[in-house]
Formats: sequence, structure tokens, C-alpha cells
Amino acid sequence: MNDDTPIMPGPEADEPTAPTEPQPPAPDEAPTSEQPDEGRDRPRRLLRSSSDRVIAGVAGGLGDYFGVDPIIFRIGFVLSILFGGLGALAYLLLAVFVPTDGDPDAAQRLGGRLQGTGFWRAVGLVIIGILAIGGLFGLAGGAAFAVALGWGVPTAIVIIVIGALLALLAFRGGARWLIPPAVALAIGGGVAAAANLDFRGGIGERTYNPTSVASIPADGYRLGVGRLVVDLRDLNWQQHRVVDLSTSLGAGQSNVFVPKRVCVVATTHVGAGESEVAGDVNSGADVNHSVGTGASAAPRLVLDSSVDMGQLRVINSDNADINTPGYGPGPLHVDTAPQRAAEARACAAK
Amino acid sequence: MRREVKLDPVSLASGVVIAALGALLLVDSAGGLHLSLGWMAVVLTAAVGAIFMLSGLLGGSGGKNPE
Repeated sequence: MNDDTPIMPGPEADEPTAPTEPQPPAPDEAPTSEQPDEGRDRPRRLLRSSSDRVIAGVAGGLGDYFGVDPIIFRIGFVLSILFGGLGALAYLLLAVFVPTDGDPDAAQRLGGRLQGTGFWRAVGLVIIGILAIGGLFGLAGGAAFAVALGWGVPTAIVIIVIGALLALLAFRGGARWLIPPAVALAIGGGVAAAANLDFRGGIGERTYNPTSVASIPADGYRLGVGRLVVDLRDLNWQQHRVVDLSTSLGAGQSNVFVPKRVCVVATTHVGAGESEVAGDVNSGADVNHSVGTGASAAPRLVLDSSVDMGQLRVINSDNADINTPGYGPGPLHVDTAPQRAAEARACAAK
Repeated sequence: MRREVKLDPVSLASGVVIAALGALLLVDSAGGLHLSLGWMAVVLTAAVGAIFMLSGLLGGSGGKNPE
């Protein structure tokens, strides 16, 4: 220890718990400015950032605390939502119980109230809150499910009745507790109706491997929820030069496999999700996709396919595995270039 | 102590908005019109935003005022 090192006065000097002999800063932590570095000796504390925040400043605070880019934590939170949602719960708890480095915000005030109510009571309130949010999601999902099963009109009538009841109860003091469940029902039903969700085709995984055109149903293949696979690679394409096919899926993944040399003329619709037809990828809401229109090449598949919510893939490949969502090694591997090339060659052939 | 019950404008306005959403869903389900997912998102967001805005503007904790 260097005895000539100046002793820096700090705010702790006035605190009753301050040591009687102030410790000098370590040589490698010497302040770089002439101003006293307030708080340098204090233990680092995790605080939510008030300046670097997207929602509640949790990622900004974590990044500052650990000395890394907050984007790492943001990506982690988003990924965790996709894989189980534990990160969302962690974010919520951190937002409520970790204070900000600026003026107290709504989350901090909520956390303060929870801490003031005692630990177990606060835990109970958090559990009730989570259950309430889960219940609202359940109501929205139930309404969506009902609409998808064809009960759109009864669901709409229930929502109208609840709305009318809410308006009538306004004259007797109001019933605001009815607002969140009614809104949840309206959102679930509305989204399902707009996406044309149709679960009446059943639930599960269906794999069809027709070996002749006669075995393909005239109205095509249909599934409500799950994975629909139609593998046309065992058809005799020398005999059946042009094959018509329609598929319909409510929610999930729809795959149509054709040999590499078959031209695909497809008209597809995806309500919300991704359409990937012979290597041509489009995603978003209301994705309408036309591929190979006007092509007269043979052999040719004329496809009319729809997915209300999820993913539609038409795959030109002789060796793609129907059990692997991607083409290559691994479920998330997507190399669409070979598909586009195969499609272009097949549709250009005379 | 007599409890005066007066009109709760937030409940009234929210009820009207929710009933209107139900009517829209009814017409859609009956085949009268078809809103795309994008437009439905706009309608739902506007409805929820309107309820929040009314709650903020009209405020209060309900229409029950003890006297």
C-alpha cells in the first residue's frame, strides 16, 4: 500500500457506519478527473436504467451492472419469451423489485407497495396477478378456439351481451372489473375471425403419401391444428403430368413435398405466418403468394393451399426428410437457394 | 349513511365499445364482411386505446360515492 496516496473524501464519511479510518482507493481505481468521484467506494448496486430503456430499463441496468452491452440481455429476454416465457416473468419481477437510477416510475411504486405489504402477502398478490393475466389469456384463447370451431356467431352474441351489461351497470355505479375479460374475449374472437381460423379439420399430425392421383381427395387435404404433410414424391409423374392439389390448415405447419424436377404452380394464402413455396419466402399477415403462374412445363403440380396461422412450405426436393422442418442438418436450418434453383429448372423445362 | 349511486362513464363507454366489437365480430362471422388481420388489429388496438383514454380522461374509481 502506498502511504503517499491521497485520501479521497467520500459521501460515506458522514454516514454512521463509515469506517473510522477511510481506506484510500486502490491505485488501479484512481479517479481520472479532478472532481471527487462520488460513490466510487460504494458497493455496486443493480439499478434499472432511466436513460437506456426500452420498456422498464431492466436490460440497460443489467448491462451497466455487468459492464456489457444491454442488447445482449434484450436478446436474451426476447429469446426466453419464445422458449417458455421464463424471461418475461424474470423481467417483470426485476422491473417491479429493482429500483431505477432516476425518478421512481410506476413499476417502482408498485414494488414499494408490495414490499410494504409484507413478503408473503406480496407473493400472494404476485401469484394472483399472474393468475389473473393467465385467465385473461385463457379467455382470449377460448374465444379464438370457439370462433375457430365455427361458433363465431354465439361468441359474438356473448360479447355483445357483456358489453350491453357493462353499459347498463354503468347506471348502477359501474362494473369496471368486467372490462378486461370482455376485451380479452373480443380480442381472441376478433383475431380468430380475421385470420379465418378453422379448427374443424381435427387436431394432430397428418401425413399423406398418395401413390396415385385417384387417391387424392377431390376437396384436398384439411387439418385444423397441427402438422399437415403431403408427400407427392411417390406419384408416377411420368403418367400424371399435371396434378391438382388443395390443402387447408387452421394453425400449425403445412408441408407439401414434390420431386425436384416437378414444376410447382401455386396459389397460396397464409393468414399470419410464413409462406415458403419452392424456395420463395414471404412472411407477415395476409400473405398471398403466387408461384410459377403461366408455366406450362410438365410434370407440374397445380397447388391451391392455405394456412390460417403458421407456416406453409412447398419443397422441391428428392431427399428432404418429412420429419425435419428444415431442409438441411437441423430443424432451424433453412437454405432456400437450392429450392429456388430446382423450381426454376423444373418450370423452365419443356 | 346513504350511498348515492351515480353514472360511471368509463363503464358506459367501455360497454358501448365492447358491444360494437361484438357486433363487428357478429357481422364478420355471419359473412357480412371480412376484415383482414391487419385491419382487425387496427380496430382492436383503437378500441383498447379508446378504453384506456376514456379511463384516463374520465378517471375516478367508479360511480359509488359514500355520503
